[in-house]
Amino acid sequence: MNRRRFLGFAVTGVAGATLASSVSYLPWSSPEKTAGVQRKEIPTTCEMCVNKCSIIAVVENGKVLKLNPNPESPRSRGMVCARGNAGLQQVYDPARLKRPLLRTGARGEGKWKAVSWDEAWDFAASKLSEVKQKHGPQASIWSSTESFAETFFKSLGLAFGSPNVERHPTLCLASVNLAYSLTFGTVPSFDLANAKYIIMSGANRLESFIMPDTVDLIGSTTDRKARLIYLDPRFTVTASKADEWYALRPHSDLAFILALINVIVTENRYDKQFVSAYTVGMDQLAEHVKPFTPEWAEVETEIPARDIRRIAREFSDAAPRAVYYAGRRSSWYRDDFHMRRAQAILNAIVGNWDRQGGMVPNAKITLGELMFLPWDDPQAPRVDDMDKNFPLAAKGDGAYLKMRENILAGVPYPVKAWMVHKQDPMNALPEQSKTLRMIEQMDFIGVIDVQMSDTAWYADVVFPESTYLERHDPIEMLAGIQPVVVMRQPAIAPLHDTKPTLEIVQGLAKRLGLSQYFDYTVEQWNEAQAKDLPIDAPLDYLRKHGVWSPPDGPKYGATLTPDHRFGTESGKIELYSARLKQFGYDPLPVYTTPSQPPPGKFRLILGRKAFFTQANTTNNAWLNTFQPENRLWIHPKAASGIGIRDGDLVQVTSAAGSIRVKARVSEEIRPDCVFTLHGYGKKSQWQRLAAGEKSGGCDAEIIETAWDTVSGGGAFHETFVKVTKV
Amino acid sequence: MAERKKRYALVIDSRKCIACRACAVACRAENQVPLAYTRNWLNQELRGELPHLLAISEPEQCHHCAQPACVRVCPTGASYQRADGIVAINDRECVGCRYCMIACPFDARFFREDRGVVEKCDLCKARVDRGEMPACVETCPSKVRVFGDINDPESNVAQLLTTRQFRVKKSEAGTAPQIYYLL
Amino acid sequence: MKQIEWGYLIICYLFLGGLSAGLFFVSALSTFLQKDGTPTRIARWGALLSPWPVTFGSALLVFDLGNWYRFYKLFLHFQYVSPMSVGAWLLLFFSFVSLLYAFAWLTPEQRNTLFARLPKRLPRLQIFNLDLTAHRRALAAIGLPIAVGVGIYTGVLLGAVQSRPFWNTNLVAQMFLFSALSTGCAVLLLAIAMSRDTMADSELRLLYGLDISFMILEFFVVIPYLVHGELSSRAVQDSLKLILGGPFTFTFWVLFLGMGLLLPLVIELVEFAPAMFSKSALAVRRPVVACTAVLILAGGFLLRYVFVFGGQMSKFE
Repeated sequence: MNRRRFLGFAVTGVAGATLASSVSYLPWSSPEKTAGVQRKEIPTTCEMCVNKCSIIAVVENGKVLKLNPNPESPRSRGMVCARGNAGLQQVYDPARLKRPLLRTGARGEGKWKAVSWDEAWDFAASKLSEVKQKHGPQASIWSSTESFAETFFKSLGLAFGSPNVERHPTLCLASVNLAYSLTFGTVPSFDLANAKYIIMSGANRLESFIMPDTVDLIGSTTDRKARLIYLDPRFTVTASKADEWYALRPHSDLAFILALINVIVTENRYDKQFVSAYTVGMDQLAEHVKPFTPEWAEVETEIPARDIRRIAREFSDAAPRAVYYAGRRSSWYRDDFHMRRAQAILNAIVGNWDRQGGMVPNAKITLGELMFLPWDDPQAPRVDDMDKNFPLAAKGDGAYLKMRENILAGVPYPVKAWMVHKQDPMNALPEQSKTLRMIEQMDFIGVIDVQMSDTAWYADVVFPESTYLERHDPIEMLAGIQPVVVMRQPAIAPLHDTKPTLEIVQGLAKRLGLSQYFDYTVEQWNEAQAKDLPIDAPLDYLRKHGVWSPPDGPKYGATLTPDHRFGTESGKIELYSARLKQFGYDPLPVYTTPSQPPPGKFRLILGRKAFFTQANTTNNAWLNTFQPENRLWIHPKAASGIGIRDGDLVQVTSAAGSIRVKARVSEEIRPDCVFTLHGYGKKSQWQRLAAGEKSGGCDAEIIETAWDTVSGGGAFHETFVKVTKV
Repeated sequence: MAERKKRYALVIDSRKCIACRACAVACRAENQVPLAYTRNWLNQELRGELPHLLAISEPEQCHHCAQPACVRVCPTGASYQRADGIVAINDRECVGCRYCMIACPFDARFFREDRGVVEKCDLCKARVDRGEMPACVETCPSKVRVFGDINDPESNVAQLLTTRQFRVKKSEAGTAPQIYYLL
Repeated sequence: MKQIEWGYLIICYLFLGGLSAGLFFVSALSTFLQKDGTPTRIARWGALLSPWPVTFGSALLVFDLGNWYRFYKLFLHFQYVSPMSVGAWLLLFFSFVSLLYAFAWLTPEQRNTLFARLPKRLPRLQIFNLDLTAHRRALAAIGLPIAVGVGIYTGVLLGAVQSRPFWNTNLVAQMFLFSALSTGCAVLLLAIAMSRDTMADSELRLLYGLDISFMILEFFVVIPYLVHGELSSRAVQDSLKLILGGPFTFTFWVLFLGMGLLLPLVIELVEFAPAMFSKSALAVRRPVVACTAVLILAGGFLLRYVFVFGGQMSKFE
């Protein structure tokens, strides 16, 4: 071979390789979109928690790809949290409810038959009618958690003739709402963006619930505009960002607050002008708090007296831009109401009411109302007998746990039917064994949900609701320091045979002879609601922007006029509440040293993580990945006392039940407490990621039944547990 | 007058990070990253004993270095750096040799078993080209991340870097990382 | 690293690539050094063996890729700053040249037998049945720098990675080169020891001379690597802990340095020393030669094993 051939050979080889490269196209498409793709951006409202942030759904070729923040909403502060982003999984979850289901096996066996809507409605209506015939319409309970369409569900229950509407607040914030209502006549919001001094008892705002207060709090504390004092037996995210964190003895927050009031009153640090103009009961208060010195409180709380005194002084110095944050979930103790009352009183006497950086009564936007045929009010009394048991509490929300007790006892009358909307009482109620007994007593259980919750698992008929990205909902007004009106419109058509709640209600109403009360569409409903908004073509505006807020910004001081009448009996802010006394409760908060767990036991405390919403998101794959298994938090000293190490399986036993869960041994909790998360150990086998013992124990099984004495709201931190190695 | 070259960078204030994971989920949705992988992550640390505890949450992702080792070592040029500083991967040219993964001081890249190519954060360049923020920046409740052109003196990032102290990670590796952590 | 990305496939490839480079080098050198025109066995065997380890290794490499059928893309680009790109092209040229060189060392009978096996329907292929014997030296000259390149670049591949303190030194390239050349000698020693013919003194002298030189050079690269590393930045010191108390300590010191480098070096010195300055023939026993060769080969493999894994486990904090 000569050189020329050699060269020729080589060149041919290279040319061949280059030619081969031209057929190199391989069908991997990169995330970059190619031209010709249909992309839409649809403003709507999130439903992954109660905050209802405004989002923009990005839809391409009929698929929702992303949920972006809607910067126009002051309510959501331009953010979408982990759950909001994971909302896509709710739509595309292969295990979500796709069609109506009728139970074929025993309750809880998980045997279902897919049926048509007509069949499902016919069955439910016939069972409900049967119960109504035999026991009266009051023999049914209609329990729900908040949603834009909850009003239709509630209305169906009332039109059906049942007074037994049970709502979410009785398991969450009934005590705090009632305490502030009885003090101020309304429940205010907290202007954390402008506050300079913030004290929080629990209310783990940076972790348990992502809302505007979260955004304002992290902004104001890390930018050093505000000082944060935080009390919690557990080192939460909020504790980690606070300026001062006290791992106080659990259940002693009231002592702390009374001592603060004591210092502020005895050192004349309260806002005298405010107190005399807008409050009643200062004299009684001053007398009442005399014994509650910081030294006394130190013994109760384990917080040093000098710090209590200093905090009281700093708090009053910073007033009116000083707040004792009320918190959201206040389902802690049987006397929780009184602790929140003390908070309200403390806030009142430093004069932070209706001032920038203080507590601000919620501004509202007036919506119109659709005129529809009103039904007759239910005749029978409520099964939880609110008038007798909790005369001051919000009747429309009920007292869930008292109701359950009564139903199990069969008093004052039998209850045989249970309709549930969006709620999961199997997990939301403590002492799950009682919930199961209540389920056994029912002749009929019907559930409306988007996923097969534990309660749906035990139901007789399951109605699949379209997810929030697939439906129109009533527009909703969210009150606050800056109120907003938000709208929810579908990003895509329903993927499966699902319907929005109004249509589900209408299907039932028709067969119950109640159609006349629901003869409107959600569009008509919204037309009526929106027509009074001070903008042109309000529904078009809302469809285009998703949210509207009055442009002139938050207002402070509207109630601080001499002739303003507060919504209380006296017309003033009630430091001393004669109304409470009238109904046999303490008119001023009285402190009794709370019981502590006996040696060898721990107090079980609860809380939330930023990437979960209660129990209903633990099966969302994109969220579950951050904590696939439940854990029991326990301090190293306590753990070594029992002989357990991090990761060991332990048995946690209370008077209500016993569960198994792996231990997380950590310094982040007091040695006398243990902590576990919510929403694991599910019974519903369709929630594969969160089901069964392998996902960790179910807290609802071991929390004992207790409720706040004044509001009837749940008290979930009263459980003492024994922990042993398995 | 010559146009100033852009350099996109992130300024991160870890003190504001509440470990809520919004950024992790937003990234997953925006870039369709399967559950087995993640383009951004959280460095968490707990120090101390009750009651003196310190918790640190520090978000991290590809640092889009000014002298990216991953780009230098790539044999096909699949790993490349845009004129604005964003380091990205051309899926079609990646052969899956994973040299870039080894070259990265931050372990920011991962190998997609299902596609046989390497992947990492690309600062949501499609969003950036539309004038939007990367998903992790936009979604954050605490606004931990600030994104912008540090060569533009008017930008948020440039102003933060002139008014605040900061550090970068692993500067000894010599890649000139462009995530600036505020102190 | 979060997890090890380059594993046994890469280690094997680096070893085999070095082996081919070493075989070519020794064969080429032997070709140049032959005095009276009679080709040596070393030159022939080296030439015939040299293409295959790297070819097999390259196949391993291709199958290690995420998308193996995209391997050709490596040859559509030339990224001169990427050691892998440079290496890929070096491999391509080396494969080509070493195959031609091997072909040049076939005897006419061997050539004809080979071409007799080709399909009869393609008579035009017979034009490749050429006698390249005259071009041996030329091919050796062309291939030698490429072989050295292949031997060195495997080390540069690691050494150029600034983020892995265990690797980031230019000494790694030298270490791998000398190890590669030494393994080339070892294979030839093994071949000679295992063949039925007598071992020619000139062959032994050449192989022993080269191998001892390479191993001494290798040793004197390992020492500064350790010393310099210990006197270097904290990150490098921490990375060296992998072999100073860490998981690779035993493998590095006992298996690689002891049994894979120093022991064969000592054996070869002991065997070669009496004959080094005199004209007397080397007195070696075949089993010893064979074992020594195996130790060297194991050492070469373990060197790459320690470095590939250890490097991926080292990082800056």
